[in-house]
Amino acid sequence: MKLGLRNPAAKTIFYAILLVWSLAVLYPLAWTLLDALKNNAQFLANAPWALPKLPLLWSNFSYVWDKYNFDAYFVNSLVITAGSTALGLLLSASTAYVLARYSFKGSGLLYLFYIASMMVPFVLALIPLFFLLNSLHLINTWFGLILVYASSVLAFGVFVLVGFFKSLPKELEESAVIDGASYYGTFFRIMLPLSQPGLVTVAIINVLNIWNEYVVGTVLINDPKQYTLPVEIGVLQAEMQYRTEWGPLFAALLITIIPVLVVYILFQRKIASGITAGAVK
Amino acid sequence: MKTSGTAKWQRGLFIASFTIPTLAFFCVFTIYPVIKALYYSLFDWSGMSDHMDFIGLQNFKDMLRDPIVWQALGNDYFLVVGKIVGIMLLATFFAVALTRFGFRMSGFFRSIYFIPNVISVVVIGVLWNFIYNPQIGFLNAFLSLFTKEPVAITWLGFTSHTIWMLLPPSVWAGIGFYMILLIAAIQNVPDSLYEAAELEGANQWHQFCHITLPLVWEQMKVSIINIMMTTLNGSFVIVWIMTEGGPDNTTQVMGSYLYQMAFRQYHFGFGAAIGVLILVTSLITTVALQRLLHRETIEMS
Repeated sequence: MKLGLRNPAAKTIFYAILLVWSLAVLYPLAWTLLDALKNNAQFLANAPWALPKLPLLWSNFSYVWDKYNFDAYFVNSLVITAGSTALGLLLSASTAYVLARYSFKGSGLLYLFYIASMMVPFVLALIPLFFLLNSLHLINTWFGLILVYASSVLAFGVFVLVGFFKSLPKELEESAVIDGASYYGTFFRIMLPLSQPGLVTVAIINVLNIWNEYVVGTVLINDPKQYTLPVEIGVLQAEMQYRTEWGPLFAALLITIIPVLVVYILFQRKIASGITAGAVK
Repeated sequence: MKTSGTAKWQRGLFIASFTIPTLAFFCVFTIYPVIKALYYSLFDWSGMSDHMDFIGLQNFKDMLRDPIVWQALGNDYFLVVGKIVGIMLLATFFAVALTRFGFRMSGFFRSIYFIPNVISVVVIGVLWNFIYNPQIGFLNAFLSLFTKEPVAITWLGFTSHTIWMLLPPSVWAGIGFYMILLIAAIQNVPDSLYEAAELEGANQWHQFCHITLPLVWEQMKVSIINIMMTTLNGSFVIVWIMTEGGPDNTTQVMGSYLYQMAFRQYHFGFGAAIGVLILVTSLITTVALQRLLHRETIEMS
């Protein structure tokens, strides 16, 4: 039996609504691209939806890349995102595995501790984190942000991966143990490769969150050379009130968006499954 | 099977090595700062020197007498309510339309609708600032198509209404995430229920009210609480990028006020106290929402 709307008029109306919202999502992005190729005269003389005049100002991108040091910010964001995702994953996967497979004194409590911590607003930790990193001489360093971000994604990783490890068949481990594999051998050679889909899901969600993060970056980085992309975008926008270099600002936005869009297009399914698994319960 | 002494010891070592480093790390960079914030909130402290004056609950007393704190609290709840209504209505509509209406290309729409959720809130804020921009912005240009004369409204400049302007970008950016959650929940509802309903002649609206809604209510409750928490904890970013809390503190939220008091005006103790207020309000609201939404499930079934 085929389910769904049968009234053709209703179907058309709902379809139109879906199309309108697609436009509402895509248009601002298309607009960003068009505006990144304009100069100021075009901004002031024409309607915002006017197409950019030929020749297209691709130079806005290289201008932002060179003059505004976006090459450096891009590298900062890349290193910090990769580093904290890797560290966060390593720490959460090890704990999640033990919590999923071994029962020991306090294991239930430990799991609850991580889950409950997700209820605590991260802004609360902001002020002490600043002074903690200051006293460790980690303000304005890649390493400092990597530590904080890795810690901020830990509980989410533990939560999703405990669920994932529990879903794997126990027989595989049991036979590994019978074959004489050590605890570590079983984890690294059997369980870790098997849990790759879960690890990838968590890693991607973390990559998106960390790449886009702004508040912690703003507080823990005050040396302009060490900014991440979102932090620089925030600063740039404030500066643009005086410089009015709109085209380059839109180019800067695109430089920040494109990497996450690529990740999204490649890993859509993983992201959806991670969200479904990780919804705060 | 009894494990021998060495085997037991090995097992313990393994468990310890896989839990203690993570726990230690987490305690240093997340738990310790949270506890330290509670501690700082009891001091008058500029952050510039080691000198801290213990003043007990004075920061909290000052906080409750500070009109900007109340303004911020009101704005936070304005955004919470606005986002819950806007996001839940649209996300539910899209989730139902893309699963139960039998549209082709529903996968395509789903992918598109999620895009704002992968973009940094900073970028979204800047983008919407340009939509609202009085000179080169999209909104004014669009309105002037109808008025036949140039429109030059400063959208982020009315003191009484500017907070409203923060809702569209927040809702726009939030829908995809909750739509995905609801789609997953709706797909768990067995088709046979809908088939039986169709045979009885129930239309889509009846099916939604009597099958979908009651069966995905748990997920909706989770979504509503999640919107509340992420708003109280994170509305700071969109506010900071779009209005910096202005004009005249009318768009201040607790997060932005915390940042301003601590990192701009160097009242770190007061800032920490605002952080505690955020924690307390989000805990109280979570409990309240749990109660409120729980009752409704009972009434419905």
